[in-house]
Amino acid sequence: MASKPEKWQRSRVVFQPDVHRGMLRGIEQMTDAVRPTLGPLPRITLYDTTIGPIGKIPELLDDGGTIARRIIQIRDRDADVGAMLLRNVLWTVREKVGDGTATAAVVFEATYRAGVRYLAAGGNAMRLRTHLEHGLREILNELDGMTGRVAGKEELTRLATVITREPELGKLLGEIFDIIGEYGRLEIRKGQGRFFDREYVEGMYWDGGLLSRTLITDISRQRTELENAAVLMTDLEIEDPRDLIPVFTVCVKAGITDLAIICRRMSDIAIGMLVMNRDKGKIKLNAIGIKTPGISVSAQRVALMDMVVLTGGRALLQASGDSLRNVKLSDLGRARRLWADKLNLGIIGGKGDPKALRRHIAHLRDVYVSASDTDDRGELQERIGKLMGGSATLYVGGITKTEQDYAKEQATRASDAMRGAIREGVLPGGGAALLGCRSMLQTRIAESVESEERAAYHILLEAVEAPARTLLENTGYEPGEILGQLADVGPYVGFDVVAGQVTNMATAGILDITTVVKTAVRAAISSAAMALTTDVVVHRAKAPEALTT
Amino acid sequence: MSEHSSDNALPEEFPTDLVYALAGTPDLGTCFAARVTGLYQSRDGCKTWHTVYDSLGISDPLPTTSVVLAPDYDGETHRNVLSGVPGGVLRSTDGGETWFATILDSPPPAVSALAISPNFVEDGVVLAATTEDGIFRSANHGSHWARWNFGLLDLNVFCLTISPGFAEDETLFAGVESGVFRSTNGGRAWREVELSVGYEPVISLALSPTYPQDHVIFAGTESQGLLVSEDDGVTWTQSGAAVITDPVNSILLSPDFAESRAMLALLESSLWLSRDAGTTWAQVPNGPESVTAVLAPQGIARGATLLVGQMGGDVSLMALDL
Repeated sequence: MASKPEKWQRSRVVFQPDVHRGMLRGIEQMTDAVRPTLGPLPRITLYDTTIGPIGKIPELLDDGGTIARRIIQIRDRDADVGAMLLRNVLWTVREKVGDGTATAAVVFEATYRAGVRYLAAGGNAMRLRTHLEHGLREILNELDGMTGRVAGKEELTRLATVITREPELGKLLGEIFDIIGEYGRLEIRKGQGRFFDREYVEGMYWDGGLLSRTLITDISRQRTELENAAVLMTDLEIEDPRDLIPVFTVCVKAGITDLAIICRRMSDIAIGMLVMNRDKGKIKLNAIGIKTPGISVSAQRVALMDMVVLTGGRALLQASGDSLRNVKLSDLGRARRLWADKLNLGIIGGKGDPKALRRHIAHLRDVYVSASDTDDRGELQERIGKLMGGSATLYVGGITKTEQDYAKEQATRASDAMRGAIREGVLPGGGAALLGCRSMLQTRIAESVESEERAAYHILLEAVEAPARTLLENTGYEPGEILGQLADVGPYVGFDVVAGQVTNMATAGILDITTVVKTAVRAAISSAAMALTTDVVVHRAKAPEALTT
Repeated sequence: MSEHSSDNALPEEFPTDLVYALAGTPDLGTCFAARVTGLYQSRDGCKTWHTVYDSLGISDPLPTTSVVLAPDYDGETHRNVLSGVPGGVLRSTDGGETWFATILDSPPPAVSALAISPNFVEDGVVLAATTEDGIFRSANHGSHWARWNFGLLDLNVFCLTISPGFAEDETLFAGVESGVFRSTNGGRAWREVELSVGYEPVISLALSPTYPQDHVIFAGTESQGLLVSEDDGVTWTQSGAAVITDPVNSILLSPDFAESRAMLALLESSLWLSRDAGTTWAQVPNGPESVTAVLAPQGIARGATLLVGQMGGDVSLMALDL
């Protein structure tokens, strides 16, 4: 028999002004948890994981998205509604751009708090929302106007250092992104020592490895390398070794000495034939079998498609009714060098048509830009990265596992942000870009004819000041005085909290990523505007099971 | 051209002798000609030539596709010279008397061009373009080479050009089978440059001597004429479209290009001159036939001497009569 819900879990309908007050309590609580992480000198939030059957090491968090994610319920249910709404906004921002959650939180809170104050005085929520959304578009346009490009090792290093707050990591990320570019492939792995390091790998590689260890020819490096190789690409399974004879015949006739057969599966007896032929065969053909990259059929098709563009030739597909019996020389791709080990397949110098490869990558970039799904974008990013001719590996150091996990997470977030910066540009940092929107908002206030419109711009004025105000508070400065100093300066001037002086943020290398700032501001203001129109909250009888188990 | 050419038969894949590239000092005191039959040097104003690979002790001719001199080459105390050969790069620090060979990674690449940093003495940077394996880079005066092809989506590289302000801007351009790529980090990574004519083979490139200020780039294509960009490769226009229909094999800009606007182009096998930065062109009067390479060590001005390499391996001098 289900236990009777406690008083706080009972069904209840809440009306104004309790809705706004309650939600504001939750929003403030959530914002206060995230607020300390804003700025170049963030404080850590410790997530207590010691309770439970197996006590774990406490988690050190400095990322607003993760902090919000860890807060799964507030006992005050009216407050919980506001907190969970903001939690969702923060996690969405975090998922989309990897950063900007603290900015989103303080902008959301400022917008909501000022909005509630205005509505309590008798304002119309729906009209206010319309004007807030209009004002948001103007803020985004202003930010676009302030956006500058970031390029070159020095600028990228400064930006990475601002993001990571770790000069050593910032230096390496600056160098890496200068080389691999915004779409380049970067793997972040835990290193062996205390320090960070990086490695560059030439060519493209996939996760399909040799079908058998017996195909390894370089025992010391545990891999096999081919030169001027022909490449057979298929998703077929090769059971009968006799199926390989037409392929061998085509190669021998064309004078090909190295062959890579990329297939879904190959029987032991077929693999044995490759080994026999290599070691004792009469014909001189060094052939190896490699597993088709990808787990799912669609992933395999995509990998084969990319390899075909890279090497030329054609993929023999089960779905098209292809078989190995009628293989032609033109079906085989070519590569200057090809390597494979137990896990990976690498191609250096694919001999496909370079124009087709450039067109293919341009198409993938277009699809990436128009894709809205995070997973789709991630997959496209990976595909483009693989085709760019090289990849980088960043090894993160640390003394303890916790430190290393933290560094890896930090590097991952920073690399997402760096890609965004290169693609979409940067803004003056330290909240200066949003402060730079103040003169436009003040002009709109002066021009406003409706009270809701005027109120909306006043609210937005508070909202755009919130990040700079929080940053100053976090670093021990008196915000009122400094914000006053910054009232009549240009949009690129802000307060450097580390140096303790007013400076041109762009020149000083204090930069924020446009896409991060815009995403945070857009999510915060539009969600807060929507939240202000909430009039009634219906609490269910009991919290969902997922939250209680 | 008098010479001591080898009687050895050429490998089948090489054509009969021709001059691929030329290098020389402004006073013509020392000149090099990279030819199918090897690398030749003249120390008497191009009157006599001799092969410089004797010290290598090889019996077969060593086809040489490119040659560059260090910027401080004076023929006496500073004598660094590098040449590109099939599968490697040769380096001499004594003007070609002795050579050090660096074998590039297997399979052996064919070196199509060399580009040397204007700041070579300090930075030691030299790059080798190859026709199938992209670009190799050395940062220690050519002793060690590594492939740097990040972002270079087309590894069939025909030409390379280096910014005169390389010490500061680290900028290079590579002409490839499908267009142009640019590096702004000294050749460690490459980015696409979109041409107005699509993915066309670019077989020659030239940067304005004042490129860091004016951002002027010329790109010679195989079938779309001569392209010029005045905004660092963002937009391109066709230059001299009415005249230039042949492949633009070489482009030379006058050292005072910013004022004189004078430039030379090797169109197919004949020399053409423009005095208005490529808008109008005229064939060089009394120019030699079957030209395969050209060098203007004294600039492009009245009376300046050009070094002209031809099919058959001849190298001749001609005075510009503007």
